[in-house]
Amino acid sequence: MNTEYAKKNVLEIENLRKSFGEIHAVQDISFRVKEGELFAFLGVNGAGKSTTIAMICGELGRDGGEIRIDGSDWKTNPDSIKRKLGVVFQHSVLDRSLSVQDNLESRAALYGIYGAEFEKRLSELTELLSLEELLKRPLDKLSGGQRRRIDIARALLHRPKILILDEPTTGLDPQTRKNVWEVVSHLQKTEALTVFLTTHYMEEAADADYLVILDHGKIAAEGTPHELKKQYIDDYLTLYGVSEAQVAVLGYPYRTVAGGYRLAIPNPSAATALILSHPELFVDYEITKGKMDDVFLNVTGKILSEESVPKHTKGGKRG
Amino acid sequence: MKTMGILIRRNVKLFFKDKGLFFTSLITPMILLVLYATFLGNVYRDSFFMSIPEGMTVSDQAMEGMVAGQLFSSLLAVCCVTVAFCSNMLMVQDKMTGARKDMLITPVKPSALALSYYVSTLISTLLICVVATLMCMLYVATQGWFLSALDVGLIFVDVLLLVMFGTALSSLVNFFLSSQGQISAVGTIVSSGYGFLCGAYMPISQFPEGLQKVIAFLPGTYGTSLLRRHTMRGSFLAMEKEGIPSSVIKVMEDVVDCNLYFYDKPVEEWTMFVILGGSVVFLIGVYVLIHMLSQKRK
Repeated sequence: MNTEYAKKNVLEIENLRKSFGEIHAVQDISFRVKEGELFAFLGVNGAGKSTTIAMICGELGRDGGEIRIDGSDWKTNPDSIKRKLGVVFQHSVLDRSLSVQDNLESRAALYGIYGAEFEKRLSELTELLSLEELLKRPLDKLSGGQRRRIDIARALLHRPKILILDEPTTGLDPQTRKNVWEVVSHLQKTEALTVFLTTHYMEEAADADYLVILDHGKIAAEGTPHELKKQYIDDYLTLYGVSEAQVAVLGYPYRTVAGGYRLAIPNPSAATALILSHPELFVDYEITKGKMDDVFLNVTGKILSEESVPKHTKGGKRG
Repeated sequence: MKTMGILIRRNVKLFFKDKGLFFTSLITPMILLVLYATFLGNVYRDSFFMSIPEGMTVSDQAMEGMVAGQLFSSLLAVCCVTVAFCSNMLMVQDKMTGARKDMLITPVKPSALALSYYVSTLISTLLICVVATLMCMLYVATQGWFLSALDVGLIFVDVLLLVMFGTALSSLVNFFLSSQGQISAVGTIVSSGYGFLCGAYMPISQFPEGLQKVIAFLPGTYGTSLLRRHTMRGSFLAMEKEGIPSSVIKVMEDVVDCNLYFYDKPVEEWTMFVILGGSVVFLIGVYVLIHMLSQKRK
């Protein structure tokens, strides 16, 4: 049995809509997030990501549609939903002048966690996120990366089922971004979390189990990274030690790169066919996959040029 | 209750750690102190002396005690409300920093959040105002102490009631604010306007009759009057003992707002307590209600 299908949906969005006056921020979107997966929600600023997250978190009312979190509905069981969601906001929303411990204590109390229960959870999170040396320090004396770790600790205080990360690495340097991702990956494994991620960095989305690309409040594409790459970008075949005339014979568009030529091919099968038909050219070569950045550019490019195409039918939509 | 306790502790800590908020809250009382030290004290002293009928004398101690009582009551009447407004700005700052958003994604009840802001502002404001009261008492002792034990007790009751009123009023006003610009605007209006409206800078009895009638509808006015009564009653009693006729004393009490009139009808002391207490209950009720309604609307 395919384990992907055995996993249950922990978040279900059906025909979600939200408008602000004439601006249709979210237009009838539907998607699923499966338990334990890393789900990436992508889009440029103004695409509708934050509005969708605000509705999922109950911060914002919706004009229409349904949101079900682990089987619970906002209308009937809001408290249960609130206990299942942990949110790391784009910008830290903790109290900068208070110590890390004071911050975590006051936020834990909002979930009814205090006294010995809080101490126990604090010690777990301290170990998990290496907070020992930070607990007594005021938040405004911490670095950006340290603050993000505290934000993550705050989001995990009540053992949520879904961790929502709203552009968690924006503004961080590459090394700190890498560290934050190591923490998130570690958490996903150790705490069996479902991670719902929004990000501007496409390379962060490349490791996701499933992606939804949002554009102008609509789903422009969705699928696994592999499906999206297959659907939206070419593979590249780079040949070295050959002449331009030889490359031109192969019949694919190409461009010059250092020491050779790079051909855009639709899939690995096309490369295999070329190797079999022109073995003399394939002495020094490599086949590379396109990147997620290319997927995003191609998807949003298609939207701009092909307004009539029903975008949500592209990619591998799932039930 | 434990959640409330932890939230209250958080709010109080944040207020005292935020030097901007803390010192802003002390600006109006400081201005008042400077005004009294430079000229307002002399103005009152001279006008009180002029109201004493010719041929009669009042001891310097009784007169200085009364002027000190005037400063004491003015300072506290302003302090209890303006400090509450500044302390309660934390509610607005939480909206600006996103802390409020972080709180609202949790299962905590909106009424608990609302009350935690109220109680923490009450505690912060009371701490400052009790210190201010003790310092004022120390000052009065150096000028001429005529306060009875009952007066001292009642002054603390007045301060408590006025702080509760200021906190409730600021909770209601601040609920609708959400930006730094609005904080500054409300802070400025309250700092400059309330001192005038409550009669701290100038007795209400000196206002035009129409304005006096409007001010009679403001509950804070009765808080000022209660403070005036309890801080100055001892000095008036001393003057009476020194031979000043009660009719003259009454005029002086009228002038300094110890006696208030609602459309020419004198307002009894117990009525003042009821008005102030009632308005506290009413304002808190409205505040909690709008908190709950605003959450339901989402």
